[in-house]
Amino acid sequence: MAFSCKNSSKFNGFSSCIKMVMVGTSTIMMQQRTLAMEASLCVKKSKKKGADSVTRPNSQISAAMAAVTPLLLLLLLSSAPSFSSGSRNAYNINGRVKIPQGLGTKGYALPGRMSNVKVLLNGGQNITFLRPDGYFSFHNIPAGTHLIEVSAIGYFFSPVRVDVSARNPGKVQAALTENRKGLSELVLEPLREEQYYEIREPFSIMSLLKSPMGLMVGFMLAVAFLMPKLVENMDPEEMRRAQEEMRSQGVPSLSSLLPGGARN
Amino acid sequence: MAIRSFLILFILFFFSSLNPILSLYEDQVGLVDWHQQYLGKVKQAVFHTHKTGRKRVVVSTEENVVALLDLRQGEIFWRHVFGSNDVIDGIDIALGKYVITLSSGGSILRAWNLPDGQMVWESSLRGPKHSKSLLLVPTNLKIEKDNIVIIFSNGRLNAVSCIDGEVLWEKDFEGESLEVQQVIQPPGSNLIYVVGFASSSLFEMYQINALNGELLKHESAAFSGGFLGEVSPVFSETVVALDSTGLILLTVSFQNGMISFQQTPISNLVKDSFGPAKIIPSSVTGIFAIKMNAVTIVIRVTDENKLEVVEKTNHETSISDALPVSEGQQAFALVQRAGPEIHLRVKLAHNWDDNLLKESVKMDQHRGLVHKIYINNYIRTDKSYGFRALIVMEDHSLLLLQQGEIVWSREDGLASIIDVTTSELPVERDGVSVAKVEHNLFEWLKGHMLKLKGTLMLASPQDIAAIQSMRLKNSEKSKMTRDHNGFRKLLIVLTRAGKLFALHTGDGHIVWSYLLQSLQKSKVCQHPIGLNLYKWQVPHHHAMDENPSVLVIGKCGPSSDAPGALSFVDTYTGKELSSLSLVHSVAQVIPLPYTDSTEQRLHLLIDADKHAHLYPKTPEAISIFERELSNIYWYSVEDDNGIIKGHALRGKCTGEVADEVCFDTRELWSIVFPSESEKIIATVTRKLNEVVHTQAKVIADQEVMYKYISRNLLFVATVALKGSGEIGSVTPEESWLVAYLIDTVTGRILHRVTHHGSQGPVHAVFSENWVVYHYFNLKAHRYEMSVIEIYDQSRADNKDVWKLVLGKHNLTSPISLYSRPDVITKSQSYFFTHSVKTIAVTSTTKGITSKQLLIGTIGDQVLALDKRFLDPRRTVNPTQAEKEEGIIPLTDSLPIIPQSYVTHALRVEGLRGIITVPAKLESTTLVFAHGVDLFFTQLAPSRTYDSLTDDFNYALLLITIVALVAAISLTWTLSERKELQENWR
Repeated sequence: MAFSCKNSSKFNGFSSCIKMVMVGTSTIMMQQRTLAMEASLCVKKSKKKGADSVTRPNSQISAAMAAVTPLLLLLLLSSAPSFSSGSRNAYNINGRVKIPQGLGTKGYALPGRMSNVKVLLNGGQNITFLRPDGYFSFHNIPAGTHLIEVSAIGYFFSPVRVDVSARNPGKVQAALTENRKGLSELVLEPLREEQYYEIREPFSIMSLLKSPMGLMVGFMLAVAFLMPKLVENMDPEEMRRAQEEMRSQGVPSLSSLLPGGARN
Repeated sequence: MAIRSFLILFILFFFSSLNPILSLYEDQVGLVDWHQQYLGKVKQAVFHTHKTGRKRVVVSTEENVVALLDLRQGEIFWRHVFGSNDVIDGIDIALGKYVITLSSGGSILRAWNLPDGQMVWESSLRGPKHSKSLLLVPTNLKIEKDNIVIIFSNGRLNAVSCIDGEVLWEKDFEGESLEVQQVIQPPGSNLIYVVGFASSSLFEMYQINALNGELLKHESAAFSGGFLGEVSPVFSETVVALDSTGLILLTVSFQNGMISFQQTPISNLVKDSFGPAKIIPSSVTGIFAIKMNAVTIVIRVTDENKLEVVEKTNHETSISDALPVSEGQQAFALVQRAGPEIHLRVKLAHNWDDNLLKESVKMDQHRGLVHKIYINNYIRTDKSYGFRALIVMEDHSLLLLQQGEIVWSREDGLASIIDVTTSELPVERDGVSVAKVEHNLFEWLKGHMLKLKGTLMLASPQDIAAIQSMRLKNSEKSKMTRDHNGFRKLLIVLTRAGKLFALHTGDGHIVWSYLLQSLQKSKVCQHPIGLNLYKWQVPHHHAMDENPSVLVIGKCGPSSDAPGALSFVDTYTGKELSSLSLVHSVAQVIPLPYTDSTEQRLHLLIDADKHAHLYPKTPEAISIFERELSNIYWYSVEDDNGIIKGHALRGKCTGEVADEVCFDTRELWSIVFPSESEKIIATVTRKLNEVVHTQAKVIADQEVMYKYISRNLLFVATVALKGSGEIGSVTPEESWLVAYLIDTVTGRILHRVTHHGSQGPVHAVFSENWVVYHYFNLKAHRYEMSVIEIYDQSRADNKDVWKLVLGKHNLTSPISLYSRPDVITKSQSYFFTHSVKTIAVTSTTKGITSKQLLIGTIGDQVLALDKRFLDPRRTVNPTQAEKEEGIIPLTDSLPIIPQSYVTHALRVEGLRGIITVPAKLESTTLVFAHGVDLFFTQLAPSRTYDSLTDDFNYALLLITIVALVAAISLTWTLSERKELQENWR
């Protein structure tokens, strides 16, 4: 998701903006979050700029301000605990889906493009989608234990057990159900990438030889060249005995040669 | 010895070379599978054609889909499927770059980036009470340079910023009985009018400052006659409503805060008025329409609030929304169906007499009436306006009309499939011309040489492309005749619109479609519902000349005693053979295992009064049926009362009308679940047409187990009453799930197992002697799947040959209903990661091939899972013998192997059902998954052991043979020469 946005002069002014906010709130957690977000902010910003330059090139400052406002809002949102209580009996669950850069370089969900990811609560009771920075939220959720699943083509996500407590709202309790790992905050990452297709093995002489045809040829060659050698090395007496045996038994059938018959 | 070891080596090599791969290579996508994307019936469309760029249209549909379509071809740019309870209330485009959607009864507002469909923001809106949801995107209304969206939902008016979804202001309308009908924003002003009714006879008007939500004025006026239904805004400060009798039209104007009513009885406007009218709301200035029975009347409101009828027609008419054209003028379109054509007229709002456009377009009869129309304009090269119209037809299809022609059409009815069945294609006969398969030997060889090059990795990129297109375009697969392997079939699907489609399994193209008249809205039946499809006639043996046909069962209205309707449709021609309107209702349909001399299958229809009606109504069918009268049993489930009942037939109907095909029934048994502790949430039986190859199962130590195979087994799952809600609403202690196996003839419970701390939803599949079910384990907070296998113990002692010879077996001992069947069950449970939407099992012609479960996951993918993973005999450390038998070591959870997703990297959005049909080839089964999308593929659960795959390289075989022959002749000559030399020596 991280682009090479350090070069952009716009970005510098922009990040100072965020730092101001950081000073305002001045929490360590906040800083971490901001750092984590910088990449996505940059994406958002650059998009914004592109759109604005088309429509109204003269109002760049106001455009920048307009872009900052939602981001500030987002920051405030993310700095709040994962669960914010709404009215008496309904809570919001806020979280984030993060697909690491290393994964998905060649894949179905292009990095940065998360429009095809769905987040599902309690087996599809609520379905929500991701914002460009990966954040999602469920609104008006009653207190209790819930299950969040992420559906993204190309990635395997573990479902997450989330406890929304009525007594102390704002308490984060989330755990991956696959490996019972607890999560300190609701950041969902894929456990692994999913490869839906078999990889075609590159051509090798071995694979050709291992194919039934290759085996046929190999077998024929072996019989043609090795058998005479074997026969040569045999004791003549033994050979005569074997020949006699054969004559008395007739042609050995294939099944008698196999131990216990072929089973696949 | 040497030969023997050689052979063993050879065989080992041979088998190891067949690598056990079930899944696909990426270049095999599209060879046997196809995937089609649909949207559902469009309920709103917004055009996006302002700029010179791409012409696009945003649509929302009844399947909860929001999508962006290309206006040129009708292709989908992007699409999102919302949850089933997240119904879309309204869509619009804001700022020219965001698609705004209002859903979930007006409580969720989302903005999507128009070009790529990425969600930009999401807001949750709440309010004091439930109400109508209205979405309004004013064009020139800004609060501090912020464009806003006005939403009325849940009794609250919100102004939301377009850029970030922040609520700028909100205003509650808490009036006890206030029902807000319209939110009107007069263009160019900063005012918002909220109009509605209160306590059924008060007209309320609120004037609100759009910039800060301040209430400027509140007026109300009483009208003694009361109000009915909706209002239609005609001017920015005038609406039209109907009084409670539906006979008088009210023009309500609230100019300058003064509410005044003007009554116009409809009989004054139309001479022969019939019964109460209904307003069809429209957004066109000065024009609205009312509907009385089948008559549509278009009325114009003059400046002095006088009403004038401008058109009265018997045809079903649809009116588009207003489309602003130059200088404050509005255009709108009217569309009607007349016979084989539809007539489209575009007019200016203030000038009824002239048409801007008048076109007639030929339209397929089987698309039915025009339900909706949306228009958009473009500027022609001669600077005049041209119009394009997007129309939604009765069969839910979506078409774009431009310049009197259909530019494109989408069969979006296929997004809502109710039932699926299959039909064979015609047999290839001499006279039947078929597509040419291979042109000549040279072409054939060339194809295989290309393939060989591909295998040897010598192919250039062009060659690879040629190979790929050759494989995809294989004309063999879309031929219209039966094939030897039974891969080509017709999928007959019934959609919610009451249309039948026949899809070819080869490439998914529509062979024919038929709009069933019996399932269309008519005078006698206002809300017809399609129920099921059955195979009515499957000709084989002596009735080979008949075409196969299907039976479509529908009913009139949602109530349980609504009369039924039957249609019989020929599956080769797609024509309706006959249709029947029934006098009785249809509660249950039982296809009987008997056919008459023309191969028509006997069907028993049970009505709500528990009478059985036999179809076809022929004396022959009755005589066949009467012979089997005492052998017919069925069961009924009443989930509300928690009762399962068994029934049998008694005899001909007594009393009433003497109907030859009506039979009385009697109740045999009933199982009543304690209503305070158990609630039925799932019942599953075996598929009627399932084939079981053998009853015996040989296990590791040469022992034999007999499967308890009965067609009359029913799996029932019940949960605690508290646990029938959603996940998270209940603690593990107060929830449990009970699974039953019930014999539906005797009503005997063969097995019962309780899962403590578990809850639904339960998805289950029953096959042969086992049932697999999926549920939620609250203690572990994970999904679980359990398997129950049931074995017959009464025959367990019969495996001794000597006992059989000496007659000491119990095969001839009498079987009584009263004796308890001697069965044992084995079961095991495993964790499963995903939520499940549906489960199916593969089926093959003879039932020899091992089975796979097809699990439709919550991510709309279909996972194939070997039944071997759900074998109750799995142990942590299987013995050597068990390993040889193929028993997998026990693990606590079921593996999810990405390569075994049948749908590979695709999604079947909105997945609802999976159907498996056996092909003629024993190893192969055909799988059809449907939801909003359709997906079809062929599966070979144990690989294609009985046929060469498509990948088989004939050229390599030929080369090998040639090489062998060459080698033989070479060695021959060598040995000849050597012999000669020996002789010379």
